[in-house]
Amino acid sequence: MQSNQLSRRRFLQLAGTGAASVVLLAACQAPVAAPGAAPAAPAQEGITLSFGHHWEAAFRPRQEEFDQKYAEAHPGVRFEYTYNTWSEHNQIVPTWAAAGTLPDIIYVHGRYAFPWNHEGIVVSTQDFIDNDPEFDVNGIWEEALRLYAYNGKQYEIPYDHGPIILGYNKDLFDEAGLAYPDESWTWDTFLEAAKALTKENQWGYGGYYNQVVQLGNELGISMVGPFGGEVIDETETKILIDSDASRAALQWWADLIHVHKVAPLPAQSQAVAGAGPWVAGMAGMFALASWGTPTLIESANFAWDVAPWPQGPAGRKAGAFGSGFGITRDSKQPEAAWQYMREYLSKEGMEFMWGSSGRGSPARQAAYDSWLNSPGAPEHASYYKDALATYAVTGRPYQTLAGGEILDVFNRNTDLVQSGDMTVDQAIENILAEGTPVLEEAARRLQGS
Amino acid sequence: MRQREERDFYLFIGLWLIGFVLFTGGPILASLVFSFTNWTGLTTQEWIGLENFRKLLFEDRLFWIATRNTFFYSFGSVILGTLGALYVAILLNQKLPGTTLMRVLYYIPSIASGVAVSILWIWLFNPQVGLVNYLLSLIGIQGPPWLASQQWALPALIIKSTWAIGANMIILLAGLQAVPSSLYEAAKIDGANPWDEFRNVTIPMLSPVLFYVIVISTIASFQILTDVLVMTQGGPGTATLVYVYYIYQNAFQYLKMGYASALAWILFAIIMALTLLQLWGSKKWVYYEDQAA
Repeated sequence: MQSNQLSRRRFLQLAGTGAASVVLLAACQAPVAAPGAAPAAPAQEGITLSFGHHWEAAFRPRQEEFDQKYAEAHPGVRFEYTYNTWSEHNQIVPTWAAAGTLPDIIYVHGRYAFPWNHEGIVVSTQDFIDNDPEFDVNGIWEEALRLYAYNGKQYEIPYDHGPIILGYNKDLFDEAGLAYPDESWTWDTFLEAAKALTKENQWGYGGYYNQVVQLGNELGISMVGPFGGEVIDETETKILIDSDASRAALQWWADLIHVHKVAPLPAQSQAVAGAGPWVAGMAGMFALASWGTPTLIESANFAWDVAPWPQGPAGRKAGAFGSGFGITRDSKQPEAAWQYMREYLSKEGMEFMWGSSGRGSPARQAAYDSWLNSPGAPEHASYYKDALATYAVTGRPYQTLAGGEILDVFNRNTDLVQSGDMTVDQAIENILAEGTPVLEEAARRLQGS
Repeated sequence: MRQREERDFYLFIGLWLIGFVLFTGGPILASLVFSFTNWTGLTTQEWIGLENFRKLLFEDRLFWIATRNTFFYSFGSVILGTLGALYVAILLNQKLPGTTLMRVLYYIPSIASGVAVSILWIWLFNPQVGLVNYLLSLIGIQGPPWLASQQWALPALIIKSTWAIGANMIILLAGLQAVPSSLYEAAKIDGANPWDEFRNVTIPMLSPVLFYVIVISTIASFQILTDVLVMTQGGPGTATLVYVYYIYQNAFQYLKMGYASALAWILFAIIMALTLLQLWGSKKWVYYEDQAA
């Protein structure tokens, strides 16, 4: 009997080392299948299409209403949904792919399109497009389409594409006795207005989701473009923020926080309850993408509107970005999935889903007016359309396998520029040192595949 | 009798073993293989030998930052958490009215959802309206911006870790209650004051339990992920970039599963080494009554 018993000491020793062996290595387990969303085989009496969506609860009835109408037009088609949160979706999709359980159709944010296409998660729709003369692919913004092209073929179809333009708090402008922003504004006008709008617990400029200096897809080119700078070259292997123009532009934006004090420090933004000063009515101006308008409609207790992104010495330039839908490699019924997609992402489909619902910025030019005329659009929402038609460009990086990693390199450094813990020059030096090998390695992986 | 006990033993442990081999052991071994490849988690996979390990040890600045941050967090959270749990356990070991309720109240945070608690602490650390800075202001201290500060974000996570001392408190409380009262009576007869009793009776008798708590807390602290994922995302800059978050980024955000596997195996080696070091060190301070001369 005695030999079979563990002493307390032995138990504690084994418990400690056992936990070390087992629990910690769980961190590197292979991905497991996400719950739900197994692709369904066509039923004898019809077809079940499965979806990986990211809609929040409030928007799901709209989706299901569309599908009900689709089912009425196509008897026998049924639908299965998995709704992820936006951030979780981008991690869940690769685990679905690893497990072979991708739904037929998935939501794809523009930043993830290229790596997911490269990994074969989404299949090309080029043949469908080529053999479907009724599907007007040319009616989609060209800047939106290019986000989902891989090896010269179209993969996902965009549903939403929007630029950054200037949002402003009309109440604060009225209070300061300032004229609203318009087409004539330059960045000098902007700075003067920002100074006039700044007082205790109120800032002239609230940034883009509280980010004043950031090199993300939408904001990066919006910050440096008007000053003649670029973020990344067209091959997406070279970072260009060390040019004189880009360096001066980044310094100009950092100065808004640290020199002119017309934009909040990160700690000041965090201290404001909710989404930050721009939604709380504590910022006179802010960068506002078209998909940000529902947030203001829902939460802002002040009058607001939008204006063109101001002109810089190099003219007017702003970043645009968006999302789309793709057919996955695990779909056993890609033809049925395309039949759905071609209607879902037709002019009428976009008008119903994102235009008249007020959700914002349909990727088809012809569907845009439905959003402009919806209750969800601000008075001068047509400036979004003007931006897409004239000066907005899709913000790089979006054709590298290192998109997420390079943006993390950017953010780690621009965070510290915003907090005042790092100079612009130091940040540029760090970004080049860390980011260049990341882009080069991604290019090698791409060439080797 | 012995055969029956053996049969029962294998029956009881058999199910766990099957589950372990299928759902944990297999993936662990697979990850060892992946660590020598450039597998993305999906398609691309080539055998690259020790390249992942060479790169992360000699070229990857973030690996060293994540390791340093994790050691700092582990050191702070284990010391603070163990001392806090011991202090509360001693208080709740007193025979006073209401101690049962207090034990429950202290334990409840340990079973609360990780994400929800992390969000709660974002509010507590709010520089302007947060409770932490409010309490500091009552004693004339202007609190820092905590999660927005490069200097204070990691200490903030250490402070937050004390939220869940309830689990260790229960273990230590059980250990305290297992100390024979005769030892305290004997100490009193010898003229010991309360501090002498604590130092010469409580601590030695509690040392195996304390050792267990320290080992398990160290292991858990090296796995911090949820708090960083929800509260800081590794920032500001790299101030809260911790090891498992870096594994997560590589595996699921950058699709570098091979590299992430190599990172995980190095973490395993670090923790195994630390655990063995703790086992070796325990000989000098842990007292086992059943092995006393």
